[in-house]
Amino acid sequence: MAAPAADAAFAGDPYHVGLEGQSGIATGHGEGGPASERVIVGYGFWLFLLSDIVMFSCFFAAYAVLQAATAGGPTGRELFNPGRVAAETACLLLSSFTCGMSAVATQFRSRRWTQASLFVTGLLGLAFLLLEASDFRDMAARGAGPDRSAFLSAFFALVGCHGLHVSAGLLWLGTMMAQVFVKGFRTDILHRLICFNLFWHTLDIIWVAIFTVVFLLGLGA
Amino acid sequence: MNAAGDSDNRQGRQAGHDENDRAPGIVEEARTPGAAARSYAIGLALSIALTVASFYVLGTRLVWAPAIPVALLVLAVAQIGVHLVFFLHITTAPDNTNNVLALAFGVLIVGLILAGSLWIMAHLDRNMMPMR
Amino acid sequence: MFGKLTWNAIPWDQPIPLAAGMAVMLVLLGVVAWVVAKGHLPYLWREWITSVDHKRIGVMYVLLGLVMLLRGFIDALMMRSQQALAFQAPGYLPPEHYDQVFTAHGTIMIFFAAMPIIIGLMNFVVPLQLGVRDVAFPTLNSTSFWLTATGALLVNISLVVGEFARTGWIPYPPLSELAYSPGVGVDYYLWSLLISGVGTLMTGINFATTILKIRAPGMRYTRMPMFTWTVLASVLLIVAAFPVLTATLAMLALDRYLGFHFFTNAAGGNMMMFVNLIWAWGHPEVYILVLPAFGVFSEIFSTFSGKPLFGYRSMVIATMSICLISFTVWLHHFFTMGAGGDVNAVFGIATSLIAVATGVKVYNWIFTMYGGTIRFATPMLWALGFVVTFVIGGVTGVLVAVPPADFQLHNSLFLVAHFHNVIIGAVLFAGFAGITFWFPKAFGFRLHEGWGKAVFWVGLAGFYAVFMPLYVAGLLGMPRRLQHYDLALWRPWVLAAGVGIVVMLAGAVCQVIQLVVSIRQRRELRDEIGDPWDGRSLEWATSSPPPAFNFAVLPQVRGADPYWQIKRRAIETQQLSGEPDYQAIALPRNSPTGFITAFFATLAGFALIWHIWWLMAAGLVAAYAVFVWFAWRDVDEKVVPADEVARIDRDARRARARWLERNAAGGKA
Repeated sequence: MAAPAADAAFAGDPYHVGLEGQSGIATGHGEGGPASERVIVGYGFWLFLLSDIVMFSCFFAAYAVLQAATAGGPTGRELFNPGRVAAETACLLLSSFTCGMSAVATQFRSRRWTQASLFVTGLLGLAFLLLEASDFRDMAARGAGPDRSAFLSAFFALVGCHGLHVSAGLLWLGTMMAQVFVKGFRTDILHRLICFNLFWHTLDIIWVAIFTVVFLLGLGA
Repeated sequence: MNAAGDSDNRQGRQAGHDENDRAPGIVEEARTPGAAARSYAIGLALSIALTVASFYVLGTRLVWAPAIPVALLVLAVAQIGVHLVFFLHITTAPDNTNNVLALAFGVLIVGLILAGSLWIMAHLDRNMMPMR
Repeated sequence: MFGKLTWNAIPWDQPIPLAAGMAVMLVLLGVVAWVVAKGHLPYLWREWITSVDHKRIGVMYVLLGLVMLLRGFIDALMMRSQQALAFQAPGYLPPEHYDQVFTAHGTIMIFFAAMPIIIGLMNFVVPLQLGVRDVAFPTLNSTSFWLTATGALLVNISLVVGEFARTGWIPYPPLSELAYSPGVGVDYYLWSLLISGVGTLMTGINFATTILKIRAPGMRYTRMPMFTWTVLASVLLIVAAFPVLTATLAMLALDRYLGFHFFTNAAGGNMMMFVNLIWAWGHPEVYILVLPAFGVFSEIFSTFSGKPLFGYRSMVIATMSICLISFTVWLHHFFTMGAGGDVNAVFGIATSLIAVATGVKVYNWIFTMYGGTIRFATPMLWALGFVVTFVIGGVTGVLVAVPPADFQLHNSLFLVAHFHNVIIGAVLFAGFAGITFWFPKAFGFRLHEGWGKAVFWVGLAGFYAVFMPLYVAGLLGMPRRLQHYDLALWRPWVLAAGVGIVVMLAGAVCQVIQLVVSIRQRRELRDEIGDPWDGRSLEWATSSPPPAFNFAVLPQVRGADPYWQIKRRAIETQQLSGEPDYQAIALPRNSPTGFITAFFATLAGFALIWHIWWLMAAGLVAAYAVFVWFAWRDVDEKVVPADEVARIDRDARRARARWLERNAAGGKA
C-alpha cells in the first residue's frame, strides 16, 4: 500500500519495523512523530470497537452456558422463526452495504449521495429494530419473556444489547445527517462519519455471530 | 488554524502524513466511485452467499448432522472475515500492522473468555450433585 | 414521584454514619464557602474543572485518590478496632453495619483510591515522557475523570442516603440478588461502578492510542521509557478487561431490576457464572494496578542509581508477558468452588508462571542498582521498601497459587494479608514514590525530605505491624470478614494488628504534615530548572511546572533515556542546544463537557438506585444533549502565538543556562 519510493527506503526491512540506522523514516509504528488526526481517531475508535466486542463475548459466554437452562419453559426451537431471522439479517446486511456506499459518497464529497445512502441505512436499521421489537413483544406475550428462564434471560440480554447498540447507532446516524446538512464535510465531521461506518459494520459482524450461534444453532438443537 | 478538526499542529507535527500508517475504514487509493464501491459490492455478494449457505446447512441432509454446528461456525467466521476485509478494509500490509495486532489481541481475549468460561463452567457443572 | 426515596433513607438512628456524614458535609461546605469567598471559583472553573490538559487532569485524579484513600483507611481503622474489641463480645459495630464497612473499604480502595492514583500518575507523566503535547483525546480524558468522580460521589452519598452493599467488594450472588439484598446498597455499588467503569475504559482507549500513535519523532518502541511500556500493558488490559466488568455487573443489574435469571436460585440461573466472569475481570484488574507501579519503580531505580535500567529488552518482554498471562489465571480466585483437579492444576501452573516474569523484573531492578551511585532520597526508600515487601507478598501468592494449599487458606486472613501485602507493597508504595518523584514537576517545588522519610519509615513499620500478625492468624484458621470471634487462639494476633493500625495512622498523619510543611516552605524547596533528581527521561527536559504545551518544539529522539543524552551533550559542550524556530501552537480548548456529562450521570445513577424513573430518563436525555452540544462546536482549539511560546521557552532556557554556569567547574555527576 505504500508508495514505491518509500519501499526503497525499507530495503531489508519488509515489515517496516524500523531497524537501527534508519532513524527518522516514518515506519507507520510511530517513528515519524505523532500520527495524523485521521489515524488517531480511526485507531482509537477501532480499540473502542474491540472493547465492545469483548463485552459482547461475555454475553455470548453467558448465553452458551445458560442455553440449556430453560427451567421447563420454551426452548429456542419452539420460539425462533427462521423467516424472521432471515428478514432481520437481510435488513442489517443491506444497511451495512448502503453505509459503505455513504462512505464512498463522502470520499468523493457528494452531499446528496451521502445523505441519501445514510437515510436508506437508517431506514433499514429501523426496519431491523421494528422486526426485532415485534419478535420480543410476541415472545413476552406468549410467556417467554426474560423472566421465564435463565436461557431466555441470556437470549434477551444478548440480542437486546445488540438492539440497543443499533438504536444508539440510529441516534448517532440522525445526528450525523444533521451535522452534514448544517456544516458540510468539515474535517472533524468526516472523521466522525468514518467512526460511524466502523461502528455500523461492526454491528453487522456481531449480528453474524448472533444469528449463527443463537438462532441457527438454537433452531438446530 | 482555528477551524475544528484542523489540528495537525496541535501535536507539533512539522512533517506530512505518515504514508506507512493506516487506520481502519477507508481506501484512499480508489480513483473513481465505482472502484471504491467495488469492495463493498464484492463483500455484499460474498456475505449473501455465506448467509444463504448458513440457512441452507441448517435443514439439509448434505452435511452430517453432528457436523452442522461446526459448519455453521466456519461459515460465520468466514463471513466475519469478509466483513473485516471488504467493509472495514483491514489488510495484512505493513501499514495495517497496528490494526491487525489490535484485532488479534481482541480475538485472543474473546477466545480466552469464551473457551475458558465454557471449560470452567462445564467442569463446575459436572461436579455438581444432581438436582432433586 | 421519588421512587423508593423517603426521609427514612437518612440513617437518623445510626450515630456513626450520621456523625461521619455531618462532619464531611461541614468540611465540604467550608471548603466551598472559602473558595467562593476568596473569589477562586472562576479560576477553578477555567483552569481545573473544565481543563482538558492531561497535567491538570492527572493532579485531580491523584487528589481524588488520596482523599478516598483516607476514607478507605478510616474504614480499615473501624474494622481493626472492631475486631480488636470483639473477642467474645459484640464490639461497637453491629453486623449489618460492619458488613457495609468492609464492602465499602474494598470497593473504595480498589476503584476510587488505587485506580485514580495510578491513572493520575499515568495522565501526568506519559505525554511528557513521550515528548508530545497531550493525549489522543483530551476532552474524553476530562470526561473519564469526572465519571470516576461521579462513581466516588455515589459511593459516598450511600453513607448518608440509604445504605451500601453488604456483600463484600465482589458482590457474589445469590447474596447480591434482590431476594437477599432487597435494599439499595447493591444498587449503589452497581451504578457507581458501571458509571466509573465507562470512564476507566475511555482512559484505556485514550492512552493505548496515545502511546501507539503519538510519540516524539525518533521515539521508536525500543526507545520508550519503561514507565510508558508498563502503562501500555496496563491500558491494553483495561481495554480488554473492563468490558467484562461492565457486562457482568449489567447482568446482575438486569436480574435485580428486570427480573432476569442470570444468577438467581430459581429458573435455571447459575451463580457460579458470576464468580467466573467477575474474576475474569478481577484478575487483570490487579495487574492494571501493579504494572504501572512496576514502571514507577523502574524509573526510580535507574534515576537514583545513576544508571540506565538493566535489561531493558527483558523488562519489556516480561511486562508484555505479564500482560498476556494475567488473562489466563483468573480461576485461582475460586479454586475451592469445585471445578476439579485438572482445571485447578492448569490455572495454578499459569499463576506460578506469572511469578517468573515478575521475578525477572525484580532481578533487573537489583542489577540496575549494582555498580551505581545510589542516592537514598525518599522515592528510592519507597522503592527499596517495595522490593522487600512485594517479594514477601509475591511468595505468599505463589503459596496460595497451589490449589491444595489454597483449600486451607482460601478466604482466611492469610489471603487477606497476601493481597494487602502485594497491593500496599507495590501499588500504594508506588503511589507515594511516584507522587514524591513527580511532585516537583507538577507544582514547581519538592516535598519536604525529612517528613517524607518519616512517612516511609512509620508507614513501612505500620504495614508490617498490621499484616504480619494477620498472616499468622490466617494460618491458625481465622476466616476473613468476621464481625466478632470467640477463639482465644487468635486473640493476640488480632490485638497486635489493632496496635499496628495505630502505627499506620501515625504514618498517615506524617503524610498530611509533610504536605502542609512542604507547601509552607515551598520557596526554599523550589525546583529551579525542572530537573530536581538528575532524571533521564523527557519529562525532566521541561520546566516545573511545564507550560500548557509541554514542549515548544517536539524533541528529536535519538536513543533510549533521551533527556540524559541531551543533558550530557549540554554539559560537555557547556552550552544549551540552539534556540529552536518557534511556531504558533494550537491547543485544545477547555470544555465543560466532562463535568456536565458527569453531573447528569450522577443524577441518572442516583435516580436508578432509588427507582426515580422520570429523573433517570431526564438525566440520560440531558447527557445525550450535552454530547450533541459538544459535537456542534465550531472552534475546538485556541492558539498560543509564536512569540508567547518563545517568551515562555526562553525563560526556561535562561534558568537552565544559569544552572549550567553554576555547575561549570565540577560538572554534575
